[in-house]
Amino acid sequence: MAGKSGREISAVPENGLKSKILSWEGALVLILIAVNILGVSISPNYTANNVFREMPRYLAETFMLFGMGYILVLGDIDISVGALVCLSGTIAVLASNAGAPFILTVLICLLVGLLGGMLNGIIATKFTELPTMIVTLGTQIIFRGIAEVLFETWGNGGGTASMADTKGLMLLAKRIGPFPIAFFCVIIVGAVMITILAKTTFGRKIYAIGSNKTAAYYAGIEVERIRFICYSILGLLAGVCALFLLTATFGSNTTTGQGFEMEVIAMCVFGGIATTGGKGNLIGGFIAAFIIVCLRIALGQRNINTQLILVIIGLMLIVSVLVPSISSALAARKKKRSA
Amino acid sequence: MKKKSIGQFLSESREISLVVVLVILLVVIGIINPSFLSFTNIRQIFLNNTLTFLMALGMLCVMLTAGIDISITSTLAFAGMSIGLLQKYDVIHNTFLLFVIGMLIGIVCGFLNGLIISKGKVAPIICTMGFMYIWRGMAYVISNNNWASGMDVAGFSDFGKDGAPGPYIILVIAYIIFFIVMKWTRFGRKIYAVGSNTEAARVSGINVDRTLISVYTIMGFLAGLAGVLSVSIYASAQPNMQYGKEMDVIAACVIGGVSMSGGRGSVVGTFLGALIIAIISKALPMINVPNFWQNLIKGIIILAVVLLNVITQRTMERQNLLRREM
Repeated sequence: MAGKSGREISAVPENGLKSKILSWEGALVLILIAVNILGVSISPNYTANNVFREMPRYLAETFMLFGMGYILVLGDIDISVGALVCLSGTIAVLASNAGAPFILTVLICLLVGLLGGMLNGIIATKFTELPTMIVTLGTQIIFRGIAEVLFETWGNGGGTASMADTKGLMLLAKRIGPFPIAFFCVIIVGAVMITILAKTTFGRKIYAIGSNKTAAYYAGIEVERIRFICYSILGLLAGVCALFLLTATFGSNTTTGQGFEMEVIAMCVFGGIATTGGKGNLIGGFIAAFIIVCLRIALGQRNINTQLILVIIGLMLIVSVLVPSISSALAARKKKRSA
Repeated sequence: MKKKSIGQFLSESREISLVVVLVILLVVIGIINPSFLSFTNIRQIFLNNTLTFLMALGMLCVMLTAGIDISITSTLAFAGMSIGLLQKYDVIHNTFLLFVIGMLIGIVCGFLNGLIISKGKVAPIICTMGFMYIWRGMAYVISNNNWASGMDVAGFSDFGKDGAPGPYIILVIAYIIFFIVMKWTRFGRKIYAVGSNTEAARVSGINVDRTLISVYTIMGFLAGLAGVLSVSIYASAQPNMQYGKEMDVIAACVIGGVSMSGGRGSVVGTFLGALIIAIISKALPMINVPNFWQNLIKGIIILAVVLLNVITQRTMERQNLLRREM
């Protein structure tokens, strides 16, 4: 079934609490709880207040998760978004330094993201013969290339650009109660994106395209239009990501956003979306994002070599994609023994 | 035989069109700055891009099986960091032994990739993405964020210093071996078979899993070798070395006409693709284009090459259809 997670842990029939816990999302929630228990036990500073205070820095890339989920369900991939974050952040910084008011800066940031996504969309839909990985590999280098040229021509040189007027950004970095604004935004964007994918015809069409593009085309679905829209959405979200990243860094440099695309894809896959398309939902990815954010904060507080997080992310990714193969192999062995 | 138009002739063989592009590039650059074509400069182009040239061979094999490996630069960093640390802490200083250790690490990394992709039925991009994180993280963890500096690797770096023949010899040997293996041996043809049609290959008795495992192991081996060479050429080892450069390797293959859906591509094409990327990055400063334009121009060229390829193929198909109607 399309809406369910692409990953099954057990063959329990779909009813009751047991199947809910044994679903992939259930397992992810348990992991999230475990990570938080771990955080509390290894660090005395791991309190809710501190976690929410440190969250915005890590939360920015979560926005792109939802757009990337759409793209992966389509059966496509987009590896240009990390560079797009760099580009939109850079142009926003330069616009602000050139005297643009804050609102305009925000709009420019989002607009650059949207345009970048649309460019991906146009190439991907006009040249359907090309794997989207190649297309976005090309645009990835171009986006970062433009940013690099901008740094040297209008930025502070040396591959950096920093914002002079940070008043507006400070406003965005504020907190409402214990929750940072970024947290609310992630929840809202996430809720909207999850609902669209799960409950609307638009979302169902994405699954249809991901499962069988030709069949979807003959069923009257405007395949290329929907793909174009999905790329544009992801681009826009890259702009949002750039904006919230700016509230933590107040500037951008040549390495801004580097590797974000892979992290976002990793979160999606860890959350149960299959890269072959048509399978999985965003809820899992959403939980996975928080698992990684909490883990980062916990490890960061303990001053453990922060790069250890890379090993953990990699291991989680590989183990999670191996689960279906292992469980089916175990089931086959069990069957053989009982036969 | 019917006479062919120039367009047809060019679009028929990717290698020939690449050679044409290359000649045009060289002529234009050579006119603007004749010193570009000097022996020293050409030698440096190869030295600076040894790693890309080397790993592109492995990436060719992987992409021929319709796979992809984005963990290579992490494997490189892990292998390079390991041998860097072995020297830093005065464990081993024997160049030969260090090479063997680096290559062994690469082989193990590659073998794990192949095992999980073939036996675990995991998508190559996801599996290698996982190992991309793991090996890069391991490089940081084992080094504890330290570097191995030029002092630490003194002696070992003689192998790859500017002017030493080592890297060139390795490159030439690697390309000769791969050219022969991919063209004339059973193993090479098996790789093509698996990439063009996995099911047909399986039915005709090819052990697909074993082919996949060996392909990723070869890739890992080359990445490990590249890691050792990297320490030797740049005379230092850092955990973040060559970060993100796997995309350059993939881009070299793509420009060289290697298809991402498998089964199409050649060693010569890969070499030309890698050479074009290498020349662009070296030539820009020499023809008075500031270095920060490099990525933008590189990206545009990559995109232009693949889009042009699609367009020529489309026009060719349309012409073929027209001819059939008459």
